[in-house]
Amino acid sequence: MGKYVIRRIGQMVIVLFGATLILFACLFVLPGDPVGSLGGDKARDPAVVQELRERYGLDKPLVEQYGNYVTNLVKGDLGEDYTQRRQVTEVLGPKLQNTAKLALAAIVLDVVIGMLAGLIAALFRYSFWDVLVTLLTTLAIGFPSFVIGSIFQSQFAVKLGWFPLISDGSFNSLIMPAVTLAIIDAALVARLMRGTMLEVLRADYVKTAVAKGLPRRTVLFKHVLRNSVIPVVTYIGISFGGLLGGALITEAIFNWDGIGFALVTAIQQQNNPIIVGVVTYGVAVFVVLNLLVDLLYAMLDPRIRLS
Amino acid sequence: MRGVKSAKWVVGAIVVAMAATACGGNNNDSGGKGGATFRLGITEPVAIDPVNSQESEGGLVTHNLFTGLYRVNTDGTLKPMLATSGTANDKGDEWTFEIKKDTKFSNGEPVNAEAFIRGWTRAVAKSSASDVAYHMNEIDGFKDLNSGKSDKFSGLSAAGEYTLKVKLSKPDFEFNKRTAHSVFSPVPKVAGAGDNKSFNDAPIGNGPFKMEGSWQHNQKITLVRNDDYGLDKAKIDKVEISILNPSSSVTLEYKGFESGQFDWARMPTPQMPVAKAKYEPQKEWLKYDSSGINYVQAFNTESPMNSADARKAISYAIDREQIAKGVFQGLYEPATALLPPTFKDVYKPDVCSSCMKQDKDKAKQYAEKAGLKPGDTLDFGYNTGAGHEEWVQAVAKQIEDVLGLKVKLNGLPFKEALAKQQEKGAKGIWRSAWSADYPTADNFLSPLLSTDGINPDANGKALGDNRGRYSNPKFDEMLVKARETKDAGERAKIYNEAEKLAVDEDQALIPLWKRSQYRLANTKKFDGLEINFQEEPNLAEISPK
Repeated sequence: MGKYVIRRIGQMVIVLFGATLILFACLFVLPGDPVGSLGGDKARDPAVVQELRERYGLDKPLVEQYGNYVTNLVKGDLGEDYTQRRQVTEVLGPKLQNTAKLALAAIVLDVVIGMLAGLIAALFRYSFWDVLVTLLTTLAIGFPSFVIGSIFQSQFAVKLGWFPLISDGSFNSLIMPAVTLAIIDAALVARLMRGTMLEVLRADYVKTAVAKGLPRRTVLFKHVLRNSVIPVVTYIGISFGGLLGGALITEAIFNWDGIGFALVTAIQQQNNPIIVGVVTYGVAVFVVLNLLVDLLYAMLDPRIRLS
Repeated sequence: MRGVKSAKWVVGAIVVAMAATACGGNNNDSGGKGGATFRLGITEPVAIDPVNSQESEGGLVTHNLFTGLYRVNTDGTLKPMLATSGTANDKGDEWTFEIKKDTKFSNGEPVNAEAFIRGWTRAVAKSSASDVAYHMNEIDGFKDLNSGKSDKFSGLSAAGEYTLKVKLSKPDFEFNKRTAHSVFSPVPKVAGAGDNKSFNDAPIGNGPFKMEGSWQHNQKITLVRNDDYGLDKAKIDKVEISILNPSSSVTLEYKGFESGQFDWARMPTPQMPVAKAKYEPQKEWLKYDSSGINYVQAFNTESPMNSADARKAISYAIDREQIAKGVFQGLYEPATALLPPTFKDVYKPDVCSSCMKQDKDKAKQYAEKAGLKPGDTLDFGYNTGAGHEEWVQAVAKQIEDVLGLKVKLNGLPFKEALAKQQEKGAKGIWRSAWSADYPTADNFLSPLLSTDGINPDANGKALGDNRGRYSNPKFDEMLVKARETKDAGERAKIYNEAEKLAVDEDQALIPLWKRSQYRLANTKKFDGLEINFQEEPNLAEISPK
């Protein structure tokens, strides 16, 4: 187990460096000069371009630039962003916190609502509740998040004034974006949960458990739930990883200052230090979450051996 | 590994998650009421320190934190601020500014000639790598300071505590107008170098407002009235500036205004007619024909746009009126000159004869003269993601219909677009726009049309703003002569002739629409609100009702 974790972490380091190398190479071949302009139609004063190229080492060959980047990265220095000239760590720090807050809130809502709904639907199959869940999940999946978000915003922030229109990172301003994000995912979780539950309920070992007279509660929680939750955990792991990578549309609607939009802006501005920072972080999050999910499998199903 | 009690694990995770999301959840009611707080939204500025403050967003903050020698009125005339007088010598290459005595920065330091020299030197210094320093490039010693050869700005000197002397490397009788730009602000000693991060985020100025706390990046900037302001004090207490996501900012501003959370707002273009119908009767709709131009640049040195006739053919083929009414729903007006109407002393309408009205016959005649044949390809570039698609397509369609050309639309993200336009062999036409930095004809004609404005590098890449590469020695001479002319009326005449030569006779570029600005303004709560020269609310002058 310990060995396994160490090996996975070793792999992770390699993946991270690989990712930065590929990114660096990609950004290097992009057309346009990253410090050639700031946006709009104006070209930058050539003297300023020259000074910035020297300052950020853009006049050096790719290999040397990458070498410098990695050396600094090891020291925890991600460089300076090209537009505001602030430390990348300083720029991304609050955004990462915000993204994490939003992702956690969304995933918690997701899990609670999704699993409960799926559970009820499966246990009371073809009942009113089951139909209701199916109907609601279909609706939720059908609506794109910008529609849901915009409706929430115009109703609850503009008309009723329950929540702030402009998010300031507070708990109150977290609710609308979190619910918006959670709705679609919760619907998917509910459907997944219902499907696997129904399958497990038909399994021989469940029939055996019921036949040997175990109380219904024990059968449900010990056998059914535990076995049907595995695909759901996989899905939640992936979804959480996605959320931690930022939620572009929701961030834009609610003015939530997260990582998703930072990346898009950085790409438009060719603000390479930010791009490399965000993507490296994204890769790290995905690798770590995958590791956690794998460990969780082993916890939930002892038959899965990690070796 | 053995199974832990899974239910316990899940509950634990939820508790952790709840705790994590709850942190930072204080819920203070920020600035709800009170007529003396003005609330508006901007997007995250590049900088608010005058050393590098450049776009409208940062400008709004800088202009209220700092007061320089002059400001610009909405009609393009100068309003003296700290300058009690500003005079040029007979040659126009030395300026003397008398500065109002006994005014202070908000930390108590005096605002004197030294403070101006300090601010200007700081902006031009090499280590500042300032994008706005070039506005000072006429001053003696600019090159040495900017390239790091010197750390002194040799053209600046103080002749007495409140007298600033400025030596120029070439005559310019309109230099005083340049100083209205915020890069010409004075700074206190605590400012330090241009990359002093703590001053960058919380500048200490001498303006009508001062910072309350630091710039909270991507969140907000709060300004409060500077009660020690040396000129007419502001009448509102506070300005709360929310920083908005650039992709949704105008929508959020508009919604914020509608729900009463903002006192000032821009709007998404498609919503403008609705907003106008609703707010114009309530006198909350403001319009300002500001100092800018939307135009099409033509690459003058490459076929097919390498003759004035070819460029005139294109210009005559465009029905500006129709697109202004259709695509822009009447919110834009056709431009018939390059200079904007806000430059009262030099503006002349109808400079560009091909801009007056679509004329299909003339378009075809000029096309024939230029050798443009139906079926020929015309490249038409524009930058994507800025809402240009619709009108660019409309213009392309008109050119195709009238001249039978095959217009190849080429939309690129702006950095790539810029690189493409700078290329040596760039050909065809390109969508462009220009806004004034200060109200001088030179600020349009020189960067966009002079030979110096091309500024090619070793590979022939055009690094300047004259990317159409128009070059006419006669035009260049006129600009030099205008700068050297003391009499304002005489000077305006020369500029008119120069504009006529470049924009009409040579048709170096093709003017399309004037720059019109629209805002929603809470005139129920504030008296005297208007859009100023910089397209900002005139915060220092308004008063609560």
